[in-house]
Amino acid sequence: MTRYDATRLIVDLAGDAAIVASLGHPAYDLFAAGDRPRNFYTWGSMGVATSIGLGLALARPSARVIVLDGDGSLLMNLGSLATIGLLQPANLAVVVMDNEEYATTGGQPTPTAHGADLAAAARAMRIASAVTVRTEEELRAAMAGVARRLRAEGASASLAVARPDLERAEAGDFQPSVTAGPVVIVAKVDESSPIAKPPIDYVAMKERFMAALGTPHSALRNPQ
Amino acid sequence: MSHKPPVWASGVCAGIHAIGSRDVVYVPDNPLSYVLRVFESEYREVRLILATREEEAFGIAAGLYLGGRRPTVMCQSSGIGNSLNAITSLLVPYEIPLLMVVSWRGDDAGEWNAAQRPMGQAVRAIFDAIGVAHATIPSPDAALDTVRRVGETAFRTNTLGACLLPRAMTTVTAS
Repeated sequence: MTRYDATRLIVDLAGDAAIVASLGHPAYDLFAAGDRPRNFYTWGSMGVATSIGLGLALARPSARVIVLDGDGSLLMNLGSLATIGLLQPANLAVVVMDNEEYATTGGQPTPTAHGADLAAAARAMRIASAVTVRTEEELRAAMAGVARRLRAEGASASLAVARPDLERAEAGDFQPSVTAGPVVIVAKVDESSPIAKPPIDYVAMKERFMAALGTPHSALRNPQ
Repeated sequence: MSHKPPVWASGVCAGIHAIGSRDVVYVPDNPLSYVLRVFESEYREVRLILATREEEAFGIAAGLYLGGRRPTVMCQSSGIGNSLNAITSLLVPYEIPLLMVVSWRGDDAGEWNAAQRPMGQAVRAIFDAIGVAHATIPSPDAALDTVRRVGETAFRTNTLGACLLPRAMTTVTAS
């Protein structure tokens, strides 16, 4: 599974969810896989994409929020997992595209190449539903767990969660159960060369994103 | 122990509340604990969100804004140093506004900790260099108006505004 394959699958399953992408290759792949008004592409602030997603999930509890982070980026802001574990936002899913390298800067290995386990880190920070997936089938199953939960409880209910069952996953019998709370999916992916980049029109992208979510920035200038 | 909060702390909370900010993302600091207590006792509708690091707080605040909120970030001046990349490569280029309330250490008001001096001396120049408007709250009675003015300007113009709380004011009640 390449990162682009995984990104396309997530976009296909995202429905009306907002997607926040970390800078560099995750954002490039999101644009290529499916540009949509509910995408927010960062062009800087490495490490902060998951925090943006958390803030958005807190602001809009009835919206679904997906973050496309990278392993190198999340390693810059591991404390964000503790904050998510503390607040337990049920409408937030963080997908870490773990290619085990800093691909955007030339492929230098990250600590995950040497065994650092980001899903275990998430579980240790009280994110119970944190799982590592290695194939499109496993990623689809993890995302489907989210969708099933939403259908069962309605749009304003909790995002669903694929509780990790790593031994069964390794045995080829990956049937994640579903529970409430935030989700972290660490997707082990092969690097793929990005084929497009989003516009570097930061303000226009932001305004498009906010309008799609029903929160035009103009409304924030003079509230009440 | 007195239960009456210091005037400056009540003013800061009233100013934040007056601009419609209902989400305060913070990293703790000793004087800011008075502000947090006022929020907890008098403004239960204001959500207090603890971050593990200041840069994370700015990221959370950016997401809150994108979702339609008017966020405030509270931290110590040292934490501005931890946050410069998020401020300059996310908030500034995307024109994401917010209010900062900064507990200012390392100024000339009797700082005892040399580790606080360099950033404390530089924080206003750094704000100037990266385009963050800032005002130092001159007295406890001016806290409400200063916070309201800086915050209102930030959200009306899609820019960043910071209010500095000098130790000369806050150490009357905290050390």
